[in-house]
Amino acid sequence: MLSPLIWIPTLGAVLIALLPSKLSPAQVRSVALVISGAVLLWTIGLFTQFDLTTASFQMREFMPWLPMLGLNYDLAIDGLSLMMIALNSLLTWIAIYSSVQNKTRPRFFYALLLLVSGGVAGAFLAQNLLLFFLLFEIVLVPLYFLISIWGGEKREYAATKFLLYTAIAGALIFAGFIGTVWLGGTLDFSYEQAAKAQIPLSAQVILLSILLVGFGIKIPLIPFHTWLPDTYVTASPSVAIMLGGVLAKLGTYGLFRFGLGLFPDAWTLLAPFLAIWGASSVMYGAITAIAQKDIKRMVAYSSIGHMGYVLLGGAAFTQLSLVGAISQMVSHGLILALLFHLVGVVEAKVGTRQLDQLNGLMNPLRGLPLVSALLVLSGMASAGIPGLVGFVTEFLVFQGSYSVYPIPTLLCVVGTGLTAVYFVILINRTCFGRLDNQKAYYDKVAAREQVPAFILTALVVILGLQPNWLVHWSEATSQRLVGLTTTAEVNLHQASTSSAALSSASSASSAALSSADSVS
Amino acid sequence: MTAATLPTTLPPSTHEFAEIIHRLEAGGSMLPDTPDNLKQIIGIYKAYAVPMDFYWRDLLYIAEQVFLNPLPAFKYFISQEYLDRPNAYAGDDADLRIWRGGGDAHPELRAFMEKGESNRKLPKLLHHLWHDRVNMEFAEACMRAMFWHEDINPTFNAYLDSDEYRQNSDRAIRAYFKGNLPMLGLYKLFPDMFHEQVKQMSYYANLGLFWEVMAPVFFEMSDLYDEGKLTSVPEAMDFLVNGIFAIAGRPIYHHVFIRGECYEIIPKSQGFTWLYEAALPYVEAVFYRTEPFRGTKSYNAQAEEVPLDQRDFHYGILYADVFPVGSAGIPPTLLMQDMLHFLPNYLIEDYHKHGRGEDDILIQLGITFQRSMYNVTSAVIQALRTALLYPLDDPNLDHLKANRQFFEQQIDRFKRPEARLRDIQDQGYR
Repeated sequence: MLSPLIWIPTLGAVLIALLPSKLSPAQVRSVALVISGAVLLWTIGLFTQFDLTTASFQMREFMPWLPMLGLNYDLAIDGLSLMMIALNSLLTWIAIYSSVQNKTRPRFFYALLLLVSGGVAGAFLAQNLLLFFLLFEIVLVPLYFLISIWGGEKREYAATKFLLYTAIAGALIFAGFIGTVWLGGTLDFSYEQAAKAQIPLSAQVILLSILLVGFGIKIPLIPFHTWLPDTYVTASPSVAIMLGGVLAKLGTYGLFRFGLGLFPDAWTLLAPFLAIWGASSVMYGAITAIAQKDIKRMVAYSSIGHMGYVLLGGAAFTQLSLVGAISQMVSHGLILALLFHLVGVVEAKVGTRQLDQLNGLMNPLRGLPLVSALLVLSGMASAGIPGLVGFVTEFLVFQGSYSVYPIPTLLCVVGTGLTAVYFVILINRTCFGRLDNQKAYYDKVAAREQVPAFILTALVVILGLQPNWLVHWSEATSQRLVGLTTTAEVNLHQASTSSAALSSASSASSAALSSADSVS
Repeated sequence: MTAATLPTTLPPSTHEFAEIIHRLEAGGSMLPDTPDNLKQIIGIYKAYAVPMDFYWRDLLYIAEQVFLNPLPAFKYFISQEYLDRPNAYAGDDADLRIWRGGGDAHPELRAFMEKGESNRKLPKLLHHLWHDRVNMEFAEACMRAMFWHEDINPTFNAYLDSDEYRQNSDRAIRAYFKGNLPMLGLYKLFPDMFHEQVKQMSYYANLGLFWEVMAPVFFEMSDLYDEGKLTSVPEAMDFLVNGIFAIAGRPIYHHVFIRGECYEIIPKSQGFTWLYEAALPYVEAVFYRTEPFRGTKSYNAQAEEVPLDQRDFHYGILYADVFPVGSAGIPPTLLMQDMLHFLPNYLIEDYHKHGRGEDDILIQLGITFQRSMYNVTSAVIQALRTALLYPLDDPNLDHLKANRQFFEQQIDRFKRPEARLRDIQDQGYR
């Protein structure tokens, strides 16, 4: 059930690479669309097979590969992975659809895009630390090419920066994994084994810190974020959709799966610090976005801000906040993809991204009225306006975190206010006002160019009105994760370190229990 | 050889728009003479004349028949009689035949009224409610602009304030509300409320009579172009100038028909004429001034965006920004929508080749309309120069200087940054 998610895109990539070169870019794109459409259909099938009642991993697929190294082909899925897989399949299709029709070197482009998609899907499914790491690293190469060949200005710089940062992140993650396995006393890299390992608390803290930095670069958290604005801005819209919508989730996913999953004791200890870190990310992202003059940069910084909520929700680890954090990853993926798609259309039609040059795009006849309207809607979704999915997930995080970390939660609430501020600035400068009569002879936006925006908008609105359809997939999984931290609390008690961290952790988990009751 | 050193011609103008002034002095138009410009302006004259044929009929219908109806719900449903009413300047019985076509409503207009845009034969009321109709509100807005800019029509307005006019309207008001005690009582209590309405009705008549002339002029120009007899922009302008002089003396009056009886509120004998009491005020009120668009200017008094003095108003079609047509708060949209239904095929083809084709056709035709109105304004300027000053080929240097001064004064009004005179010089402005 799970392997096709990896192998359809991978084999599809090979197929596309082997297509005859006389095919037009549009034809190659159609082939890529069919392949990613098949993955999307498979994912929908996965949803029908998913058992909502079990909290543990499902649909296990195991095949020995290199047992000597502890590396096995070991896949399984739970609520957290399921949401990420869904996001990956959907956004891959969207990214391929929204790519410009007359791409240069189309076969290479779409093959790389599908490789990224397959690799990321594998990483989300991997039940083996080494397998996760392999796929995590493999994805870097196609991404490097995607940025450095089809990117905008300064693409070499951005691609190199991205590669260096992510390679370092990979190295840290690898170090963390090796340490975990060695300290656990085996050479088996399977997730199950690693989770059972008894590791002293001090070592746990060190390993978790290493993973935090490694995944923090990927998420990204301040101060490891500086690759992100350059990369997002330089990448072409479809690559930016993959980067922001899916790749950033590798970071948060890794943090939850490996950070929280393997080191619940250390996680409990470090949680207050993580909450503050998340809140600072939110504030930093929002304030920096306010200062930007380039709409794509604004959206890029908004991404930094929104990943802060995920960290806050993870740090609070009540069931509510975890469900909120997982849903926030999905909602952020949808909204960011929508924003990047729309910004890409604006840039393609108007020829600029500068706030001081854009104006009056809401003009019904000569502007981009529909794109502007959707831009307003996605800005509101991002800022957490009720009725749209952003509100639901942010509110879940706040509700789940407030009892545990009131101050960071309040800071994050202020952050959503600031998010509204910069999106209003963006919308005001871009959509409102009047067109410049000298320049405003823009091409019209064809209906088919807006299909991705329609799909994403529909999801953003429907999931905003009926959040259960988003939330209930990850309820059981987050309950299991909360369970991990309650035992962690007992462990910490036995270690009897009466620190301030401990007391806050105990209040956290009692709140977690009570809110777990209220959710289920 | 000494004769050569004497100045026999004027030195070049140093005006910002010197090129345009020289063109006017050579008998040209403010609009550059290109075949494309000619095609655009003539095509739009045609598209403008058809709704205008409805405007003037309905304006007269409202002024003469609807009159003071307190709830004029059906004022845009003109009677068959007004639809068949022969235009005074077209048809076989015309006083002065300008257009060689028939005098009753234009066939394209009749077809549109019958089937509309939806191309379905429905009762009038349904066409109206579905908004499948001529936007008469635009004509009324033009009328109100003329009515409200009081300073531009002094003799006519002085008459509206005279005792004679008050007595005439008093008789009409009493006759109109005969037997209607509540309205008569209201009239007793607030007479000015009713008299002010009558004045407005007189402006309905005034504008209706103005457009009764312009519609056949535009129809005839379109026909001449189709026959290949109009070949340049100055020729088109000259046709307008000649038309203006031919009709300058047509009387402007206001008659009201109540139960079959005619009440002369402004009698023809008053001697108001088309050129001075309708055409020139119209050009000033509608082409230059009108009122600030709700969608582009703030009426906030502290913001001081709207001038205090009505003479400084500059919101007419010569200054209008056409790009926002189709948005909220942009009144010309109504007219553009009306003209859209009657575009000649050659213009539609042209529009499909530019901009967004079908999608922004309203803006493209709006800009064309702006060009053509610059040509009409050029005709008015040339007509005024002919009436008040000297011929263009006058050998007297002082006379030529006077002409130039006049032209420069006129063009000075387009020095404002909003004026589109500079834009229309460029064929790329579409």
